[in-house]
Amino acid sequence: MIKKNTKYLLGVVFLLLSQSAVAQFTVEGTVIDAQSGQALVGVNIYDPGSEQGTTTNTEGFFSLEIPAQSATLRITYVGYNQKNVEVSADNNEITIELQKSVANLDEVVVTGLASSVQRENLANAVSSVDSEQLTGTTSSQTLSSSLYGKVAGANITSNTGAPGGGMSVKLRGVTTINGSSEPLYIIDGIYLNNDAIANGSNAVTQAAAGGSSSNQDNPVNRVADLNPDEIQSIEVLKGASAAAIYGQRASGGVVIITTKRGSGGKAQFSASQSIGLTTIQKKLGQRQFTEATAESAFGPKGKALFNEAKSSNRFLDYEELMYGQEGVLSKTQISSSFGNESTSFYVSGMLQNDEGIIKTTGYEKQSIRANVDHQFTEKFNVSVSSNYIHSESRRGLTGNDNTGTTFGVSMVATPNFIDLRPENGVYPAHPFNTANQLQTRDLFSNSENVNRVLTSVKAEYDIFQKDGNYLALQFQGGVDFFSQNNKLIFPSDLQFERISAQPGTLVETNTNNLNTNTSLMLIHTFSLSENATLVSQGGYTSFNNDQNTISTVGRGILGTQTNVDQTVSVSNNQTRIYQRDRGFFIQEEFNYNDTYITTVGLRGDKSDRNGNVNEIFYYPKASFAWNISNMDFWEGNGPIDNLKLRTAYGQTGNLSTFGAKFTSLGPSNIGGSGGILITNTRGTDDIQPERQKELEAGFDISAWGGTANLSVTVYQKNISELLLQRELEPSTGFSFESFNGGGLRNRGIEASLDLTPVRNNNLNWNSTFTFSKNVSEVTDLSVPAFDVGGFGTSLGVYRVEEGKSATQIVGLDPVKDSNGNFSGDITTKKLGDGEPNFQLSWYNQLNILKNVDFSFMLHWKKGGDVINLTELLSDLNGTTADYDDTDLTFPDFVNEAGGITDDTKNGVKRASLLGVTTRQFVQDGSYLRMREIGLYYNVPTQMIEGISSALRGIRFGVSATNLFTISPYRSYDPEVSNFGNQPIAQGIEVTPYPSTKQYYFHFNIDF
Amino acid sequence: MNNIKHHISIASVLLLALSFVSCNIVNVEDRPDPNNTALETVVENPTPSEINTLITGTESSLRTDLRIYHINVGMIGREMYRFLAAEPRNTQDLLGGGSSELDAGSFYTSRPWAAFYTSIRNANILIESVKTITDNNAVSEAERNGIFGFAKTIKAYQYLMALTMHNENGIRKQNQTDFFSTGALLSKADSYQLVADLLDEAATHLSNAGSEFSFPLSPGFEGFDSPSTFLQFNRGLRARVAVYRGNFDAAMGFVGNSFLDASGDLKNGVYHVFSTGSNDITNPLFSNPQSGAGDSYVVHPSFVTDAESGDNRVVGNKAILRLDENGDVNTASLDELSSDYGLFVYKTQTAPMPIIKNAELLLIRAEANIHGSTPNLTAAEDDINVIRNAAGLSDYSGPQTQQALEDEMLRQRRYELFFEGHRWVDMRRYNRLGELPLDRSGDNVWESFPIPESENI
Repeated sequence: MIKKNTKYLLGVVFLLLSQSAVAQFTVEGTVIDAQSGQALVGVNIYDPGSEQGTTTNTEGFFSLEIPAQSATLRITYVGYNQKNVEVSADNNEITIELQKSVANLDEVVVTGLASSVQRENLANAVSSVDSEQLTGTTSSQTLSSSLYGKVAGANITSNTGAPGGGMSVKLRGVTTINGSSEPLYIIDGIYLNNDAIANGSNAVTQAAAGGSSSNQDNPVNRVADLNPDEIQSIEVLKGASAAAIYGQRASGGVVIITTKRGSGGKAQFSASQSIGLTTIQKKLGQRQFTEATAESAFGPKGKALFNEAKSSNRFLDYEELMYGQEGVLSKTQISSSFGNESTSFYVSGMLQNDEGIIKTTGYEKQSIRANVDHQFTEKFNVSVSSNYIHSESRRGLTGNDNTGTTFGVSMVATPNFIDLRPENGVYPAHPFNTANQLQTRDLFSNSENVNRVLTSVKAEYDIFQKDGNYLALQFQGGVDFFSQNNKLIFPSDLQFERISAQPGTLVETNTNNLNTNTSLMLIHTFSLSENATLVSQGGYTSFNNDQNTISTVGRGILGTQTNVDQTVSVSNNQTRIYQRDRGFFIQEEFNYNDTYITTVGLRGDKSDRNGNVNEIFYYPKASFAWNISNMDFWEGNGPIDNLKLRTAYGQTGNLSTFGAKFTSLGPSNIGGSGGILITNTRGTDDIQPERQKELEAGFDISAWGGTANLSVTVYQKNISELLLQRELEPSTGFSFESFNGGGLRNRGIEASLDLTPVRNNNLNWNSTFTFSKNVSEVTDLSVPAFDVGGFGTSLGVYRVEEGKSATQIVGLDPVKDSNGNFSGDITTKKLGDGEPNFQLSWYNQLNILKNVDFSFMLHWKKGGDVINLTELLSDLNGTTADYDDTDLTFPDFVNEAGGITDDTKNGVKRASLLGVTTRQFVQDGSYLRMREIGLYYNVPTQMIEGISSALRGIRFGVSATNLFTISPYRSYDPEVSNFGNQPIAQGIEVTPYPSTKQYYFHFNIDF
Repeated sequence: MNNIKHHISIASVLLLALSFVSCNIVNVEDRPDPNNTALETVVENPTPSEINTLITGTESSLRTDLRIYHINVGMIGREMYRFLAAEPRNTQDLLGGGSSELDAGSFYTSRPWAAFYTSIRNANILIESVKTITDNNAVSEAERNGIFGFAKTIKAYQYLMALTMHNENGIRKQNQTDFFSTGALLSKADSYQLVADLLDEAATHLSNAGSEFSFPLSPGFEGFDSPSTFLQFNRGLRARVAVYRGNFDAAMGFVGNSFLDASGDLKNGVYHVFSTGSNDITNPLFSNPQSGAGDSYVVHPSFVTDAESGDNRVVGNKAILRLDENGDVNTASLDELSSDYGLFVYKTQTAPMPIIKNAELLLIRAEANIHGSTPNLTAAEDDINVIRNAAGLSDYSGPQTQQALEDEMLRQRRYELFFEGHRWVDMRRYNRLGELPLDRSGDNVWESFPIPESENI
């Protein structure tokens, strides 16, 4: 009896067991794809009668000795429907056609540190994304952007349109208030660093000057470095029930990434080239002034400048001047797979060079990967993965500021009648702002260079295997090292630098980060009987992180020097972070006849982030899957092929942010002497991790020969011991301390429906709907309600409040009296919610006449409000495109409170209501978006053979991302975050880098 | 057989786990904050150099949020306007515009308060850590007295600053040893007593502190960096406290023991100093007097219109006429307030800011002579004339009455100590807040700041 739940690779080894022979014959054959006719490599051929098996070679050929007169071979292959084939001594040369499976029930899903399970037996709703889905339709700059809409329950949002990423991924709602809500990324066993390190532009923008320590530097989170084209598959463990075995680092979920690996046999090469263009997704337009409106908005100077522009009919489109570049995108990818019976290689290289829609911005990336697998002996194999990445992003200067220096803030202060264009290289001063954005864009620079090395090794040793007993030892180690350099140069000629006491600013920030992780595990597979299998595993894991950031700001540049020491005054800042985690886990999995599958496990973790560094926190899990369709009574005559019920429970932790336990004195110097001053945050000696408990349940149905598959999951997550900050009486000398308390709950439902409406020789159409909905509530808060993001109640804030949604947005609003009129009072109340009502994506793949592939994905987000402060700033400057319109209306009592009527101009309405209501800024962020669309032509095999025998395939096509968006939102894009990745306060817009769309032409060649 | 093997393997897994738990690789080291000095390292038996860094940090901390403090006091005292388009609370709440009131939760209330108590905590940490030094050779008795004299004077100064803002609402006494609890809210009178007692205790320490301090002070204390001269600074502050309480005879005594010198430099005194050095700060009130109205510091128009002609402290000095590139007057306006004059008290970003100076001591002596139990109006006039002559004005020629000289003394305090945190306090203690100009109908002159919301009172 084969153990389906044994680890896939090991299973293959296990098949090659000893044999005996009485009557025997040899069966030979080829396995091909039923649609394309292409040979399939590595297909499992298994004879249950003799417990023998083999796999197909690179030509799809196999040969197997059968110790009997006849046999029923079981043919299994990942991504294809299982097939049983009768063979006998007379019928021993066969060609087997396999149908692609839509449900992927045989797909092996990585679910734990050392375990993987066939999807058929999975007790959790683990989402998998393969390379075809990931990058098959179109090209994307970063990994996160290629995951949009492909994972049920994932809320993926882009923080900015700036080249190089900056994406937030949240799985199943808000999981923390003050910690990190981003998932743990594991790539080939490496615990990836996904920090977003500020570039230091705050030294000029002063965006955080209002006492907000939040990062508004528009940083890139480092998962952006990965090259999506090198990825074979992604598994997403969305909550504690699936991720418990990862313990205290898995509260945001776990994203397990497996890169492509080589296969033995003849060398294969692939090369692909994409060329594209990027443009602004949506322009807001500009206000059309008259002499009178120019004067009222910009005073006598405005009037004079308007008349000057009018006399020469020189009105400029600043959106076109600033955001109008059609940036060229280019990506070249080559890869090769080769090897022999014991060693295989996958080598790939990638060059990417993308321009942005703002001149001087862009993104470049180079990546080299070598994955090597070697089988030393039958019992011992080693896999090594290594990747070097260099990325450079130039993101401009956008977003919030307090100095009028960013592009966006300059733009809202720019009416179309002024001329900021340079004449003979001299940029005129902006008459209404401290910066001329054209000058800043052309003369300043903001670049981020990252050099990164990812290496992992996995060694497996089979200690023994006998009589249904199988014990293996596995070691995994991973290293993630990167060095990040941010350099900002604000030359002394810039308008705002000229008037500074020390003109010219240089900011140089260097970060070195090292993550290392190891694990040592024992896996024991044991057949209790023909039908029952027990898999035990346990082991030790460790994780270390060391990060060192040194930032230098130099003010008063000497001439045109760019070294920070070539300045009048220099200030330095160094921040070190470390983390040491140690843990162990044990897990027991029981499979009865692939019908009942039960798993229990326990993880124990300790970390120096906790108050007591050697206290072990335990995270249990248990799950149960019941394949009803494998029961004896199941006839299998109806339309339903597979039916499974499943439920799972688990716990995870979330560590406190670095430093929460320290009471420290920071540097405070005077008169050239060094001094130390107590910091305003008192350390918490007994800080401990947040705890998430999740229960999920669901069912999977597959019907009509795998052409219809439905999977539905409901879940509830309760998070307790939240890491909260409470205010202290400042007369103690301290203002804040962290503590564990409170509770948060998420409930949600996820569903996916895969359909194959048409499958014939001329048309093969696969269609997938993915739906998710999550509702959160703060169930318990031991401190008064507090704000976690935004710029104060009058501008809209995210407020954490007991009994309310964790993502509620509150603001001001007038109170109605009993007659429905304005009562004279203004109240603070909920005006919106950052969380969408639901998300639905629809992914389609059509194969037409065998050679044409057409695919697209539509993504519908319903609800989810965004605080639009770009519009506010435009209104305050009198530059909003719809300023003079009157179509925006408010209820009568709001009009009354603001002293406006329906006939008041939109811009005046919104500005007059500032301080009266916040409803004009809290806007519906719903959208329907064509995320990806692609059309490809595969040159038919016969034609290719005519060109060269070495060629295996040629494919070319066109694609686009974000082709269109339909949204009621009144600014660039409802997908935005001024504060970068935030657990809660995500959707706040302040003059961001506008969102973009891309068009590509692709060419792939395989030989 | 199989079962046995299975059990063996499970046991070995558990054994493996256990062995890791017990051996070294799983022990996690408890390391201190890598980025800052951990509190534990200074509170127990600190080294002399650690004490010195605590002292320097305490002095340095006196400058935290001084900008907000001076804007608060300067705006309510109608000395100046802080125009910041992005922060309407400056021109609304502080001036009582419309129905606005001072808010217990806003930054202008909470931040200076927190800054004062942070300095006090640092001084308390200093005192408590010095007490733990057992070795008298490391820090001698005299040196300890020097440190305590410094720390208590600083504490008193910070309590006084808080009391200046919160006035009738009083202040809290910080628990010197317990970081987790705070003291009761004191009445205004008790608060003044707390400040006076601390200054007097400090004076006793300073008298027994030998001839030299064991620690360095910044150049802001140049001439006041030994126990005897620091004591003169202490007595100067004590004189200020005495006039604030209306104890004019006592003030006369204290001012006599201070560094008052009628023939000396009026600017002589103790200052906050600033630099562009690492982890230091620049003068937060330095601003280009011509800067855009949306982010500017301007002089209250009455400061110029009320000035005596020929006063060299006003136009061209502390008040600079705002002009645009064509040479036309560039009035700064915001929120229905306007001024033609930019504020220019601090001429560079490293200009020092006075804590107390000779000019104030002279005016305290004049005040004590006017209102003391045995008034000496001639002596008061002499001191006032020193101030007037230095400002390019002739001798005082008004009536020699208590009332007229009180007016003149307050007037000289207004012009000599402009934007140094005095005008509002002076008008308040003479019950003259009603005389301050209201610029818009509905504006108010506040008497006291509320106790910050976060104090949970």
